[in-house]
Amino acid sequence: MENYYLGVDVGSVSTNVILIDEDNNLISKRYLRTQGKPIDILKEGIKNLKDEMGEFNVCGVGVTGSGRYLANLILGADIVKNEITCHGVASLSYLPNVRTVIEIGGQDSKIIILRDGIIVDFAMNTVCAAGTGSFLDRQAFRLGIDISQFGKLALKSTNSIRIAGRCAVFAESDMIHKQQLGHNQKDIIRGLCEALVRNYLNNVGKGKEIVGPVMFQGGVAANEGIKVAFEEALNTEIFIPPNFDVMGAIGAAMLAKEEVKKKGETTFKGLGIADMDYKVKGFECDGCSNLCEVIEINEDNRILARYGDRCGKWTNSLKKSNAKLA
Amino acid sequence: MKYKIGMPRGMLYYDYYPFWNEFFQELGLEVVVSPKTNKEILNEGVLSCVDEACLPVKVMHGHANYLKDKVDFLFIPKIMSIRKKEYCCPKILGLPEMIVNSVDGLPPVIDTVVNLKKSNLSINKSVFETGKYFSKNPYKVRKAYLRALESYEKYKALLNKGVIPMDAIKMYNKAFKDITNHSIKHNMVIMVAGHPYNIYDEYINMNLISKLSNEKIKVLTPEMISEEKIIHYSNMLPKRMFWTYGRRIVGSAFSVIEERKIDGILYISSFGCGIDSILIDLVQRKSKEKKVPFMLLTLDEQTGEAGINTRIEAFLDMMKWRNRDEDNVSTHG
Repeated sequence: MENYYLGVDVGSVSTNVILIDEDNNLISKRYLRTQGKPIDILKEGIKNLKDEMGEFNVCGVGVTGSGRYLANLILGADIVKNEITCHGVASLSYLPNVRTVIEIGGQDSKIIILRDGIIVDFAMNTVCAAGTGSFLDRQAFRLGIDISQFGKLALKSTNSIRIAGRCAVFAESDMIHKQQLGHNQKDIIRGLCEALVRNYLNNVGKGKEIVGPVMFQGGVAANEGIKVAFEEALNTEIFIPPNFDVMGAIGAAMLAKEEVKKKGETTFKGLGIADMDYKVKGFECDGCSNLCEVIEINEDNRILARYGDRCGKWTNSLKKSNAKLA
Repeated sequence: MKYKIGMPRGMLYYDYYPFWNEFFQELGLEVVVSPKTNKEILNEGVLSCVDEACLPVKVMHGHANYLKDKVDFLFIPKIMSIRKKEYCCPKILGLPEMIVNSVDGLPPVIDTVVNLKKSNLSINKSVFETGKYFSKNPYKVRKAYLRALESYEKYKALLNKGVIPMDAIKMYNKAFKDITNHSIKHNMVIMVAGHPYNIYDEYINMNLISKLSNEKIKVLTPEMISEEKIIHYSNMLPKRMFWTYGRRIVGSAFSVIEERKIDGILYISSFGCGIDSILIDLVQRKSKEKKVPFMLLTLDEQTGEAGINTRIEAFLDMMKWRNRDEDNVSTHG
């Protein structure tokens, strides 16, 4: 039976589940839409892998993404890592001399600056989600275009028009104004791609020294129009790794591999979790004026975890009852 | 019967509480402080405050609202200037007016004007005018003033020894021998820079300082750096900084960067802060020049911790990685 490492990236827009082997080769990947139900989609991803691969050994599990703590509860991961570190590690394995990584995902956009194979600086978008995948999704929907056609249409344009890129709301009204003036759709789309790149470089990339080789990854890297707009703005070639959409998960699996080597064995709960029943219950604790939103996760009618309370009343009560059971 | 005077735990509370608390108590008043910021206080603040204000100002409204039915007087000083030729943020200048006009049903508000723009002696005027509300005897007011100063000096001394204001405010009047806990070994030292009302309000910054302490990180804040150093290093700027808090933040950050006392800087800013927009850039440029990791965390009303946790984790990972690469030679002696 083959030995593989599982990497999971539970993001706002997509949940990615991948397998790598001992030599970091990608064996299988699943790119699924999170659709606001991370647990179900995660189970579906694991089930898919099982169906596709048949019998295999999972020697280690790494989780990342904004849903990484949730994924950890369900999977029993060996390592829980933030997206920056995971993306950095994965990029280095594809392009050891990479010096800038541009990553644009669903809710986040990041820039990672690497020098001599280590992360020396990074930035993420602040409270604003303009210029990320969710925004593109929304605009594609509004224009009635399939998101996968978005980039190709932008490349057909010969005359880009300027769209305000500072804020998603301004961009949208600017787009409507331009559309009502009679500009054609592909020019508007190209303008939008350029606006996103401008916003990214002014906002996330502000004050950073962007030098090549530059790598572009995350879901938005599928968009040709954005890639070309980056190349024009930075005046350098942009590399897109073959598995650009699951780089975070690959990095998590690589880190898990290292971690398991250190500690000897994996804490993974097994592929059986795909058939378990998970229920999530949320309630507002009325113990004090903080009114914390507590979340309780049940696995086959057993309470798996509670979190969200600032004082630890619910989290700690669980630890005690677990200790009694053990 | 003792009069009750309310002090909202917001804005410059961590700067002036030890002084005014002692002063009012000495004059025979009972001082009531609002609890730490919680969801209810934040909600009330956001509801009553004008929309354009920054988060800490909204939080301050919530604290005033909390106290309004529990006290006979509310103390919200109008702090114009606390250093010669320098000013405070416009929102601080107009704070009592903003609150009086936004929160309904307030008790009488004592809005002592503190304006040391021309001379430090103006503090006497502020103190005696405030004292007049509660005592006709100028000697009694003077005595209270001296006691207040004494407490304030003790508080400042604790801060300079590296005690975080949240702890110092609880212990400045108690006898103590050694406040430094030598048993804790720190992996790294980080300066958390920003305005005091952002870095010490554990609710709005989602327990940032305890999160760092739990990772065995020693935290320095601008309030722990001595006044002399702040002045010395802020004078490195080509132009004079005329905001007192701006000078404190920039001067303290420059001092720890130049003296290589830290592994990184985390800047906490509330969304929409005008002064910060300049300060952040100044601090960021300096840390880039000296190759010190820098990260900005922007706070607003969000309560989801995922975003802030990811950023902190990534920042710590990066610093560990960098430190490991420097042949394990610590950058801070």
